[in-house]
Amino acid sequence: MILESLQALIVPSSLLAVFIGTVSGVLVGGMPGLTATMAVALLIPITFVLEPLTGLILMGGVYCGAMYGGSIPAILLRTPGTPAAVATAMEGYPMSQQGHGGLALKVSVISSFCGGIFSTAVLLAVAPILAIFALTFGPPEYFLLAILGLVGIVSMADDENSLVKALISGLLGLILAVVGTDPISGQLRYTMGLTDLYDGVAFMPALIGMFSISQMLDLTSVKRIVTDTSTLKKIKREPFPKGLKKFICLGSLTGTVVGILPGEGATIAAFLSYNFARQRSKNKKLFGHGNPEGIAAAEAGNNGCVGGSLIPTLTLGIPGNSVAAALMGGLIVHGLIPGPELFTKYGVMTYAFILSLFLANVIFLVIGLSMAPYFARISLIPTEILIPVVCLFSLLGSYAMNNSVLDIFMALLFGFTAIILHRTGFSLGALILGLILGPIAEAGFAQALIIGHGSYSVFFTRPQAIILWIIIFLLLLPPIIQISRQSKDRAAEEEPKAE
Amino acid sequence: MTKRLTEILILGAFLIISVGLYKSTADFPEMVQGSTANYIRFLAASLGILCLVEAGLWMRKKHQNQSKKLNMTGAPFRFWSLLILMFVYSLLLEYLGFYVTSTLFLPMTMFVLGARKVFLIALTSGGVLLFVFLVFGKILGVPLPESGLF
Repeated sequence: MILESLQALIVPSSLLAVFIGTVSGVLVGGMPGLTATMAVALLIPITFVLEPLTGLILMGGVYCGAMYGGSIPAILLRTPGTPAAVATAMEGYPMSQQGHGGLALKVSVISSFCGGIFSTAVLLAVAPILAIFALTFGPPEYFLLAILGLVGIVSMADDENSLVKALISGLLGLILAVVGTDPISGQLRYTMGLTDLYDGVAFMPALIGMFSISQMLDLTSVKRIVTDTSTLKKIKREPFPKGLKKFICLGSLTGTVVGILPGEGATIAAFLSYNFARQRSKNKKLFGHGNPEGIAAAEAGNNGCVGGSLIPTLTLGIPGNSVAAALMGGLIVHGLIPGPELFTKYGVMTYAFILSLFLANVIFLVIGLSMAPYFARISLIPTEILIPVVCLFSLLGSYAMNNSVLDIFMALLFGFTAIILHRTGFSLGALILGLILGPIAEAGFAQALIIGHGSYSVFFTRPQAIILWIIIFLLLLPPIIQISRQSKDRAAEEEPKAE
Repeated sequence: MTKRLTEILILGAFLIISVGLYKSTADFPEMVQGSTANYIRFLAASLGILCLVEAGLWMRKKHQNQSKKLNMTGAPFRFWSLLILMFVYSLLLEYLGFYVTSTLFLPMTMFVLGARKVFLIALTSGGVLLFVFLVFGKILGVPLPESGLF
């Protein structure tokens, strides 16, 4: 069947579909406010006039391309094209400021490629078996997974002040996510009568405001993103840094596993991978200041989510994330119902689609590697030209999600507030993560309590929950030990001075 | 305004939010008192406690740190001009539509930020609007704000 699928794939229409889908995906992913979900959903009507396989391949290419594409503006402009690229922005943008934007882009594309290939291989080999694992996760585990995602970012704090402020920031994000509709009763909460808030605070305008608009406001005081332009004057092809293999492997595995869990997304995969990498790194101090290890892990994680998310989608009809949900819509429209039949009766088409994902990864790798030095030159554009253009796209991106002008004002409010919070030491990463994870955390918490008849023991009884608690503890332990060591060292230093 | 004063004001605001949030859950329907209301109470209590902890840490280190000014920007005129221009842009969007408002916003902002080459300003503004028209308007079919006046 694989051979037949390969034959179905190597026809000109399918190959063209992979190419166009991937390139479009990279462009869409690279534009803040346009998400992979939007792109795949917009493609569904277009696929009506295409052969089912061609339409599927087009959507798959967009998915793969968009997951990578979000990293390009994240690295060059600190403007994540997709929420999953926030972790990449935290390391990639400082590298751009140091004149190593091209290198950051290279690390990003290679890591994305490795993560995507790994997860697609897992999808090809063990899809039905892994789907069963996905079904064992219930509301208590989803709540703990959301906490795990948050704990990861909080565990990056260096001292007790920033740890407490990071926790406050994460909590603030979770609180903002409470605005909207109660997931259990359907009651409206804290919407202040605004219909645009009935669905809650949209995270995309918040993301754009906090990372893009705040950055553009910051850039008003400089002439260029890169202060020392001599490093960028010639197209410099820097060698790939050594020692990134283990972080890419870590990210690929994490992304694939997280992607398998229905409802979880590439954002959690990226942040978890990033934090695991930080825990394992010998250069912890460099994290947040331009460490390619962080980019490698985060990008392998978010692209690793692609294949993983398609496992429950294709085998059980349970979408791995919102993009997979849109893709599933496309499948159903063409009469391809997820389940065992997809791998038997329609096996040729399904396996051809999976094989096309390998091709999509190769295409964006070639695009990324050849174009990276040119993309990096965006850092040379004078800020008086760059800022208005980026601001326009940011405001447009905020509007495009829900066609809501309120979202534009939200983006501005978040942007201005982000500057104040950042100057006073609060963590923007924790805040946005809290906002994104809030709905998952609340729904998991509430449903778990209902299942457990109000007893909190439901969060501690199942083996999956216990494993998650152990991982949470292991993530929190190193920073707590580090902070207490620092406090002791400080106290020891102050004693002789007092004497 | 000093950094210290800003931090205190922020912590105070968060503390007020946490108290308000906690009290608001009393008005939730009975059916969610054991689930989502508990979740919100947990968040509110955690926020309040952490704000007090942070205030305590701040008091402990008060004598160590000099009071630094909260430096919002190194270029106040450009910073505030950009913010005001974006705000006005958002206000005018529904009345004038995307293309007219953006045609005004782009060159004005570039000029305020220091661009002086008319050709470059015109080329960049025109190029961006054409790109948006083709990609957002035609290819992706993303509906853009239309003018409420004409």
